[in-house]
Amino acid sequence: MKLPYFPGCTLYTRARGLDHSTRAVLAALGIELEELPNWTCCGTAFPLAQDNYIGMVAAARILASAAQHNGRLVTVCSFCYHVLKRVNHSIKNNAEARRKLNDYLEQGYGGETVPVHPLEILKHDVGFEALRARVRGRLKGLKVACYYGCLLVRPAAEMDFDDPENPTIMEELAAALGAEPVHFPYKTACCGSYQVLNAYDVVASRGREILAAAAAHGAQVLITSCPLCQFNLDWLQGRGEGTVLPALPVLYFTQLLGTALELPAEGLGFESHYVDPRPLLLG
Amino acid sequence: MVSVGPSGELCEKISEISGQNPFLCMQCGTCSASCTGIGVMDLLPRQVVRMVQLGRREALACRSIWVCSSCLACTARCPRGIDIARLMEALRAINLRKGHEVLSPERIPAALLTEVPQMAVTCAFRKLSA
Repeated sequence: MKLPYFPGCTLYTRARGLDHSTRAVLAALGIELEELPNWTCCGTAFPLAQDNYIGMVAAARILASAAQHNGRLVTVCSFCYHVLKRVNHSIKNNAEARRKLNDYLEQGYGGETVPVHPLEILKHDVGFEALRARVRGRLKGLKVACYYGCLLVRPAAEMDFDDPENPTIMEELAAALGAEPVHFPYKTACCGSYQVLNAYDVVASRGREILAAAAAHGAQVLITSCPLCQFNLDWLQGRGEGTVLPALPVLYFTQLLGTALELPAEGLGFESHYVDPRPLLLG
Repeated sequence: MVSVGPSGELCEKISEISGQNPFLCMQCGTCSASCTGIGVMDLLPRQVVRMVQLGRREALACRSIWVCSSCLACTARCPRGIDIARLMEALRAINLRKGHEVLSPERIPAALLTEVPQMAVTCAFRKLSA
């Protein structure tokens, strides 16, 4: 199966590990990602001011360009997925948004593209039972905290992804891979996000709480789909600001999956982590 | 402090930009209890909404609107269905549209800029600079 793919800017720079591991695991499962031509940044922030349509134009262009490929558009970064999904929802359900955004598009677009996250592909196309049959127990007993953060699940009515207070799709994945997902009450807490550049204390305090909660529930690794969550939680520990001992590797879910599928570790992007996950995962 | 005329006008302007009715708020504080940035805020989110209801300019001048991370926890949990993150964005927008910003490139340590993911930079400047 071939699906169009929108990587997003961070996946070409600071989060290459997420891009490479996503392509590698889906390829191993028979899904080829075809990168959209001429893509741009999605805008990163879904505009919350009602009159800010210009903040939606980049995402509208991306969605419209994918419409020529009939149907689904894969994107894995939580920011990109959030923005594409919400802008698409606006175009579909808000006549004024549809009219104004179409003024900026070369061809008419009415919300036909369906942004889809690899977690959804793994659950619905590949199937967790099929995955369970594929893996050979490399992650057996590994305790995993599944961290969703804010953008994947909220607002539930527009994201329509999973339960906004108690999502379970990553736990289902981890369990299918033979790992043990731990109870993790902070799974939908926010890491402080872009405030790392403005109100560092927010990221430091929230990050410490999130890491401490994961460790307190026995987690050995934490998984996410967001490059900013990954950075904030990993970098804090790199600065010696995590309170967790031993340090908690912060992985993309695709890196965990790639390890379970026994894909070559060099292709999964582990080398750029502050807390090196290799001793634990590859031992 | 940014001025927007008589107090009733502030509330009207915020309702227009956010599409939200701040008078639905019953001051239960669920937003404050859910908030990511609460530890460094001067006004609790509940108090920000109250200031908006009263048309008080403190809502525009507080630190809270700038340390909000738009995580939507307040929005998801508000029992009155108010999208509080949109109220916060409206308060930022009124400031930013008059040129009042809190983030400038010089304020960010160069070492951090080379490490942080791109979306943090783009998102922070879209939210916090004019």
